[in-house]
Amino acid sequence: MNAIETINLNVYYGEKHVIKNITMNIPKNVVFTIMGPSGCGKSTLLRSFNRLLELNETARITGDIKLFGESIFDMDPRELRKRVGMVFQQPNPFPHLSIYDNVAIGPKLNRLVESKEELDKLVEWALKKAALWDEVKDRLNDPATKLSGGQQQRLCIARALAIKPEVLLLDEPTSALDPVSTAKIESLLIELKKSYTIVLVTHNMQQAARVGDYTAFILDGELIEVGETSQIFENPRDRRTEEYITGRFG
Amino acid sequence: MNFMDRFKISLLPFSALVFGIFALMLLVYFTNSAEIFSREGIKIYTTNIWLASEEPEKEFYGVLAAIYGSVFTSVIAILIALPISIAYSIFVVDFAPKKIKEWLTIATDIMAGLPTIIYGIWGVFVLVPFLKTYVMEPLYNNLSFIPLFSYPPVSGYSYLSAGVLLGIMVTPFATAVIREAYKMVPFTYREAIFALGATKYEATKVIIGYIKPAIIAGMILAFGRAIGETVAVSLVIGNTFNISPSLFAPGYTISSLIANQFGNAFIYEYMVSALFAAGLSLFFIGLAINLLAFYFLRRWEESGSRL
Amino acid sequence: MAVDYNIDARLIKEKIFIALVILLSILAIVPLFHILFSVFYNGLPVLLKGGINFLTGTLPPPGEELGGIGPALVGTFVLVFLSSLIGLPIALIAGIYAAEYPTSFLGRATKLLLQIMMEFPTILVGLFVMQILVIPLGTYSAIAGAFALAIIMMPYVAVTTEEALREIPSTYREAAFSLGFSRAQVVFKVLVKIAKRGILTGVLIGLAKVAGETAPLLFTAGGSTRIYFAGIDEPIGAIPLLIYQLIQQPYENYHQIAWGASLVLMLIFLAIFIPLRLKLREVRL
Repeated sequence: MNAIETINLNVYYGEKHVIKNITMNIPKNVVFTIMGPSGCGKSTLLRSFNRLLELNETARITGDIKLFGESIFDMDPRELRKRVGMVFQQPNPFPHLSIYDNVAIGPKLNRLVESKEELDKLVEWALKKAALWDEVKDRLNDPATKLSGGQQQRLCIARALAIKPEVLLLDEPTSALDPVSTAKIESLLIELKKSYTIVLVTHNMQQAARVGDYTAFILDGELIEVGETSQIFENPRDRRTEEYITGRFG
Repeated sequence: MNFMDRFKISLLPFSALVFGIFALMLLVYFTNSAEIFSREGIKIYTTNIWLASEEPEKEFYGVLAAIYGSVFTSVIAILIALPISIAYSIFVVDFAPKKIKEWLTIATDIMAGLPTIIYGIWGVFVLVPFLKTYVMEPLYNNLSFIPLFSYPPVSGYSYLSAGVLLGIMVTPFATAVIREAYKMVPFTYREAIFALGATKYEATKVIIGYIKPAIIAGMILAFGRAIGETVAVSLVIGNTFNISPSLFAPGYTISSLIANQFGNAFIYEYMVSALFAAGLSLFFIGLAINLLAFYFLRRWEESGSRL
Repeated sequence: MAVDYNIDARLIKEKIFIALVILLSILAIVPLFHILFSVFYNGLPVLLKGGINFLTGTLPPPGEELGGIGPALVGTFVLVFLSSLIGLPIALIAGIYAAEYPTSFLGRATKLLLQIMMEFPTILVGLFVMQILVIPLGTYSAIAGAFALAIIMMPYVAVTTEEALREIPSTYREAAFSLGFSRAQVVFKVLVKIAKRGILTGVLIGLAKVAGETAPLLFTAGGSTRIYFAGIDEPIGAIPLLIYQLIQQPYENYHQIAWGASLVLMLIFLAIFIPLRLKLREVRL
């Protein structure tokens, strides 16, 4: 069974047609990258997977999206979002909370834990998963804003993991980071795909080539091509994909 | 979607309450002034008569003097506030050393927030005697042939005193609007004007022209504050039914009329209704002024977002 | 180099302009210092002479005695407290509503109405409350005064709440939703907490504002110079109201008390306002 399937998916912002009839499958336990030039609709596509688009009152969706075979539009959006974690472009730990509380807020509000001990364990687990534990274990009560950009982004990954999602959506998570932090996060993603399905939006082709098992190429809201990453990069079937990866536009 | 709507619905009563209070207020003003309208018609606003009598049939009220006084004093106030608030904005943004900029802004913020009764006590014991001795008496003694200065300044309580006090009180409000707009003018404009070889004066003139909608909005808001102010004005205006062109004459404003007369209005048959009608006029003047100010502010914001 | 034949005239104009700006700026600021000076100059001796009794005592008969402003001081605190109890919940939630539904009709209308109410003549509120509370109840009362003040406080608190919430970058809102929170959780557990400084500022400005109001109390609170607090359905004093009444009396000792009371009121105002205003610069986000 696929983790995510989209069926004739269309998204409109008011009159503007931003996702055009996309049908594709995202298999389980892979890193699936969505690449394309800025403004092509990648982030919109990603936000349709956890129905975060509904925050935008002008957005309208047609078609269907299935999470492990079940239509997400039949689910309560909150239940859906508990199963689909998300990490954003700019590291955005809540500025008023400590490192610990940033990770703990999800499990606390969603009542995932019974006791303080359980919560402590969960926070530790999430921070370890996000490869941040060793760097912050002695200062869990510091404000999250004291961390470096790369650490903040891994904290956001820990925050998303702490609600025990099945799928992790990442919207250009390294575009605001330096190369060292980027490398850390990329190796983390490869580690995480053992237990999660990872959907990574990026406009950086090298990144897609480095970490993606599968890659989809989006242009002006259309799905141009999707397939195994090696095939997309070595043997693209569509001329536009080839032009993009050889750097002739984008 | 349904859980989002539930959230909206649970907040709704509180927003509705704000509207409810406002609607109820309007209703109270309309129903209470209905009596005087049916008795006197528009004359309540167009005549200057105040006949309070134990015999209801002899009662007659016209609040023209108060409306006149409100407009007169508020116009004096913004004539004072206009040049001062523009100059102060220029000074704070362009001239003041960095270290004291913040304090100059804090100073006007304090003035804007200071309890109005403090302006009142200062007005009565400091400003009025000062204006009487150093402004009104010299002008009256030498220039009383000009209608503006023709009234003998006996007590000092007058349109001028109220207007000057109001001018001092509303300057900070106008300043806040103008200063923010002046500060927001993109640096590239200043560069461009100075690059053309303009002097400070010429450059400032261009920028001031550019923020004109904000200046107009600031003045309208200041006018609105001035016309609604009650206690400070009622302490220095003299509380007299009077329509005089002279700055030194005592008068009334709508709000000071209400403050002064409402306490004993219940003795009479129609006075309460007359005062509510006066309040209603203030209600609508206030509403119109605010909407107008928002219109200009929006125009300014839109001109900014086009850049 | 091209010679500007007019350059002298232009430079003279510039000098005049600068002088004028400085002169008018001084005029803008002088009243504040004169007011502060006058209140201290006239009020401080009264406060020193009256001592603690000035804050706790009651109003003396006209004549020589100084007495105190106790009932008015108590009344001001009671009124501010009661009006917060009535006004703050409504204001906070109306502000949240306007921030959360900025494009809905009611959201936009709420915002506009709040801004209009903010500029509204406060005497009109007093008159309104007299008609709906004082007349039916048959007496001036603390609750009527508090209700009038609550109406005046509401727009200040609501508008600052709305602005503080709207300034939060949308990425935090998205992050909170992506964790599966309900809208109520997003707003109350995350956004309100991020914006708490801004909201608190609005609340304090609202309190400082109503603590100094006079006009809306004229026909609602009634005033009290001898009795401190007799119940929320009984008349109550307030410092601004007391000052207003004392100024209009012809007695010298009453004028002195008015100055002393003004100093107390001003100190209360500055004690709330100055720290608040200095902190504002540090609000990060």
